[in-house]
Amino acid sequence: MRKTSLVLHRLWQMLPVLIGISIVTFLLAQAIPGDPVRLIVGPRAPASVIESVRERYGLDRPVLAQYFVYLGNVLQGDWGTSIAFRTPVLGLILSRVPPTLYLVGGGLLLSAAVALLLAIGAALRQDRWVDQAVRLFSTVGLGLPAFWLGLVLSLVFAVRLGWFPASGFGEGLVDHVRHLVLPWVTIAVVMAPILVRNLRATLIEKLQADFVVAERSKGLPERSIFLRHVFPNSLLTNLHLLGVVAVYTLGIAIIIEPVFAVPGLGQLFIGSIVSRDYFVIQGLTTIFAILTIGATLVVDLLSLVVDPRVG
Amino acid sequence: MMAEREIAVTVEVGRPRVRFSRLTVAGAVIVTAWVAVAMLAPLLAPYDPDATDLRAFLQAPGSPGHLLGTDHLGRDVLSRIVYGTRIDLSMGVIGVMAPFLIGVALGVVSGYSGGLVDTVLMRLVDVALAFPFLVLVLAIVAILGPGLTNYYVALAIVAWVPYCRLVRAETLVLKRSEFVESARLLGLSHVAIMRRHILPNAITPAAVFVVTDIVLTILLGSGLSFFGLGAQPPTAEWGRMIAEGQNFLSQGWWISVFPGIALILLTLGFSLLGDGLAKQLRVRA
Amino acid sequence: MSDPVLSVERLAVWFDTPWGEVPAVRDVSLALQPAEALGIVGESGSGKTVTCRSILGLLPANARVAGRITVEDADVVQLSRRELEGLRGRRIGMIFQNPSSYLDPVMRVGEQIAEGMRHHFDVPRRDARASSIDLLRHVRIADPEGRVDDYPHQLSGGMKQRVMIAGALACRPRILIADEPTTALDVTVQARILELLRALRREERLSLILVSHDLGVIASICERVIVMKDGRVVEEGRTEEVLRRPSHPYTRDLIGANPSLVPAAEPSRPASRSGQLISIEGLSVTFGRRRGRLARALLGEGRPPVQAVRDVTLSVAEGEALGIVGESGSGKTTLGRAITGLAAPSGGRIVLRNDLLTGRRPAIQMVFQDPYASLDPRYAVGRALAEPLRWHRLCPPDQVEARVLELMTAVELPSILRGRRPHELSGGQCQRVAIARALATEPRALVADEITSSLDVTIQKQILNLLRSLRERLDLTIILISHDLGVVRSLCDRVAVMHEGRVVELGGTADIMRAPEDAYTRELIAAVPRIPQLEP
Repeated sequence: MRKTSLVLHRLWQMLPVLIGISIVTFLLAQAIPGDPVRLIVGPRAPASVIESVRERYGLDRPVLAQYFVYLGNVLQGDWGTSIAFRTPVLGLILSRVPPTLYLVGGGLLLSAAVALLLAIGAALRQDRWVDQAVRLFSTVGLGLPAFWLGLVLSLVFAVRLGWFPASGFGEGLVDHVRHLVLPWVTIAVVMAPILVRNLRATLIEKLQADFVVAERSKGLPERSIFLRHVFPNSLLTNLHLLGVVAVYTLGIAIIIEPVFAVPGLGQLFIGSIVSRDYFVIQGLTTIFAILTIGATLVVDLLSLVVDPRVG
Repeated sequence: MMAEREIAVTVEVGRPRVRFSRLTVAGAVIVTAWVAVAMLAPLLAPYDPDATDLRAFLQAPGSPGHLLGTDHLGRDVLSRIVYGTRIDLSMGVIGVMAPFLIGVALGVVSGYSGGLVDTVLMRLVDVALAFPFLVLVLAIVAILGPGLTNYYVALAIVAWVPYCRLVRAETLVLKRSEFVESARLLGLSHVAIMRRHILPNAITPAAVFVVTDIVLTILLGSGLSFFGLGAQPPTAEWGRMIAEGQNFLSQGWWISVFPGIALILLTLGFSLLGDGLAKQLRVRA
Repeated sequence: MSDPVLSVERLAVWFDTPWGEVPAVRDVSLALQPAEALGIVGESGSGKTVTCRSILGLLPANARVAGRITVEDADVVQLSRRELEGLRGRRIGMIFQNPSSYLDPVMRVGEQIAEGMRHHFDVPRRDARASSIDLLRHVRIADPEGRVDDYPHQLSGGMKQRVMIAGALACRPRILIADEPTTALDVTVQARILELLRALRREERLSLILVSHDLGVIASICERVIVMKDGRVVEEGRTEEVLRRPSHPYTRDLIGANPSLVPAAEPSRPASRSGQLISIEGLSVTFGRRRGRLARALLGEGRPPVQAVRDVTLSVAEGEALGIVGESGSGKTTLGRAITGLAAPSGGRIVLRNDLLTGRRPAIQMVFQDPYASLDPRYAVGRALAEPLRWHRLCPPDQVEARVLELMTAVELPSILRGRRPHELSGGQCQRVAIARALATEPRALVADEITSSLDVTIQKQILNLLRSLRERLDLTIILISHDLGVVRSLCDRVAVMHEGRVVELGGTADIMRAPEDAYTRELIAAVPRIPQLEP
């Protein structure tokens, strides 16, 4: 079937990118100043320990060989040890994944919901005050610093009003939600504008499209035309945007997590940079890349399934 | 069909005038105002931004002599915001220069050449796009060390990608257009065609994007400074100010809030300008 | 005469734009009798499309309407939106020009056809699907059961138009408005769609309004016709009368510009004995390569190779005008591009006479279909014309301006337009600039690829006349590529007919038109809408 072969083709196309990712993360470590062995073992390690570390990471071999040692280690799950935490990097990273997924997932859902409402409202009432307000919100929202917004929301709703906790992640699903409401709102305010602008523009464009004129000429009511033609066409056209925004949200999470002390990948990232925990930085870069291409892949496959024009 | 675009233009009709939309004007006014603030900082700021005065510690906004209050070291917030304009404004403008130039050049060359050059570059772009932008910038800053210069270097390494894609997409379309083919037929060299016909036309989306990119660069830069990875203390950069106010959020909210508002107003100017330009240039096309 | 089913009285439509009020229709009145076919003919800007859309109230929000449009005792201009929705589709149906953009790309065609039916008659889904299949059969689509679940992009242009017709018929209107329904289609496909419309009219006793810029199309279906120009009706009457004895000068211009009525070109001069300028031997041009096994396994099927030109052999004599005629996909454009060097041959060869190859100046130039795309939007006319002069240093720098003015005069462009950019010029003016630019390097031959297809018929006539005079004055060899036999007939001594990449017939224009030998050529000639009223 043609669509299955397209799916396989798409998966196959990822291979060079994966290789590229591994090369980039490898090169990052190469660029680290100073003797990597010293960083790992500390200043007072005995010679035998130094030797075994060199052996493990192939640090005495030429660069190309080092790359393959690195690749082998990564694929086997040995991502190095954290200098700050003194635990294996992979485990450390994996333990931080759930909070980030909650944060990004919930944030995206909220952003999408808000964006849909605003875009539809604005497109249907073009040039009246609803539309102007939405456009204003979009323009201002694009220029909001996420970290500042988080602080302000935290100040108002957590410190002054006490409705939500100011930081942390909590235990259990309900508690997680309580802790994540403010971070989710922060994400939505920052991300929704991007979705709103594009969706609104597409909706307006489609509302005047030729095929819509043809539908009107058949006497179909506006509401039916909107629900059955304009809306599906606009969503499909903007499907790829979902992937872009998902990746962008992943990046923004890095900024938001420390502000709200959510113990996820972002907070770990900032912390590792400050404490120069290089293996963790390297590992996190890899994980972020994996999450990114995963998200892009999901959106591509979704597009393949849902959009009849693709394939 | 093309026939419907026939404009009945007689010889007497004059040339249409260019009209600037209200958006563009509003944006330009705001940006100019900020530029003025940056240039006239010594005249506008009532105090030296780094002058500490522990007796005037944590004064609320509206207290005598301190319109926006003071911070935990007694420094006047208004003065720090005024001087901070220089840093944040220049950060946005300087930060986009290298990515713009690199991206546009690569986009035109890659799109026009096609073949191996294009394939290699596109694979590179694919790999760059496999990481969230922030992650790459942060990782490079982590390696190189904190500071604004390293931020610019990181941007030069990764931020050219959107420009390259925009310009390349436009170039691919232009490459097949009839006026480029006619230039080929008339004997113009590839280089001449790229310089005279492709570049001026393909650069338009990049020029529109650059204004939005200034906004993103300012926000990211102040974010880095917030975490101590960008502008270093005691520089009065807005992101740094917001970070410094974090510990005093309850007693001295103004330390963090006002710099944020300044950021919003600065980015607003560029956003409006960018929106206005986008509308303008699309109308002409 | 019974009461008209539709009447328009003193219709005026204008648009409120940021640049002021723009009138589109100034004063139009017409009446449609039951079971009648009324044609509306006019060029772009005549207001014919706006008139049609007003009848259904399909104008954009910034449109202002005055006058009366009466359908079954209701005045359309005064109706509320709900009332309009009841009128549209059910009483009056409409089909549009470009079926590709007038069908929803992400909905199956069967559903689109059924929509109107389900709305007006409350038909349940399963019955609606069966009705869709019936309608597809009714509009003569092969294999309706197989097609009903297809998406528009899976169908050809002619099939899409049939789908659109089916969709309009599904609401069972008494009146059908067809706005340039065949303009975007190939001539042979057009002939079949027109045949379908005639048949449907008979079977359903529809009243029809057919809008077109092509007199031939109108003459083949409509008993009465109105001629529109600049938002007004300049002439109306029975088609036969209007065509035989046009009273308005514009109508006469329109008739005179119709390509099939222009006398066939006599071979103006004997083909020069200095022989063949261009010799094409066994030429093939193929796009895309068949991928090897490994590449296919790794990268997927890829696009299948397309043989645009197959084994073409012909020659072009100096000073002659050769026409290349064919429909879309015939390979005519590719052949033209191969001659100029824009497309590389994958088999056979093109031999140019020796003196053409010396020097850097390319000896064969080309003019393209889309006048606005042929010019750099940022270059003013003067600059665009000066560019080839400067590049090849064809004259000293201080004489460039003068030479530019000479070129403009040669193509009959007023020198005032020198500073204008393409978007400030009309299509015809742009095309003249493109021709002037091509002539700047003094080529020996000019390939004109559908250069008048985007232009109004009256402008087309001017451009063709220009080519004719240029040919005489400059001793230019012209290769004219067109889908329109009439256009080729008016200019070319010889013509090559192409079909699916091959030249199926080659010979003198008058001979072929009179007595075509190849079956496809016969089909092509037969498909051109005739105007019997005007033939001797």
